[in-house]
Amino acid sequence: MGAMTPFLVWSATAVAVLVALAGLASTLARRRIGLLHLAGAAVLEVLLVVQAVVAGAALAGGQRPPETATFTGYLAGVVLLPVAGVLWSRTEPSRWAGTVLAVASLVTAVMIWRLVQLWEAPGA
Amino acid sequence: MPEPVGSEPGGTAAGPGRVLVAVYAVFALAAGARAAVQVATRFAEAPVAYLLSALAAAVYVVATVGLARGGRGGRRTAVVACSVELAGVLVVGTLSLLDRAAFPDETVWSAFGRGYGFVPLVLPVLGLLWLRHQSEVAAEQEAAGTAPEDGPGRA
Repeated sequence: MGAMTPFLVWSATAVAVLVALAGLASTLARRRIGLLHLAGAAVLEVLLVVQAVVAGAALAGGQRPPETATFTGYLAGVVLLPVAGVLWSRTEPSRWAGTVLAVASLVTAVMIWRLVQLWEAPGA
Repeated sequence: MPEPVGSEPGGTAAGPGRVLVAVYAVFALAAGARAAVQVATRFAEAPVAYLLSALAAAVYVVATVGLARGGRGGRRTAVVACSVELAGVLVVGTLSLLDRAAFPDETVWSAFGRGYGFVPLVLPVLGLLWLRHQSEVAAEQEAAGTAPEDGPGRA
């Protein structure tokens, strides 16, 4: 996976899926999001920042994925996404806050794997 | 705790609408970034496809803003954007399957949004249904004399 560390990729994916499930569960239970959701999103964010630093260091060290611009864009986007998701769901007073957070988390998970693809892409 | 229906301020960006705005914002960003890269790095390869890609991005931005702002103007803007989006995904989706040479690179609307889990195909339908529901709610509030969000705007 190159600059995309397997441990970070897999743990970020797992946390993102868990946060998404917790968000959907709170919507189904007709509840607002709670501390659990925020803590999960915080853990996800920490993992993403560490991964971004690792990938940033690899880029700075001269390693280059085939589409460097796209890769960098995804890297910046994926770090911002959980923050945006938390902010946008925190201002929602109804049970739908959980679904907003779930959408943000699932998109985060997809973007992590797009980053892995982009790093490994064979010169396309 | 059950959410009391109708007691929230409501509007196009509240409740399920907030989820819709989130998804639209993601697509505005994704399509915008993709179109920017395509137009900036290899525009000459497929100008028509990449211009459509940029158009798709613009439509998502307009729809996001319309839904997020709400009110009569926001709803009308969003209805137009969602309709263009639905037409776009159907036309581009069909063309991309019929004439692959004209669409050598994936865009958001290629093959009815297959690269994005067909969400681009479902999204405008959900958006239009939600907007129709919201105008009904607004009309009811107006009839009841409690339309705080729209002000004195004319239809």
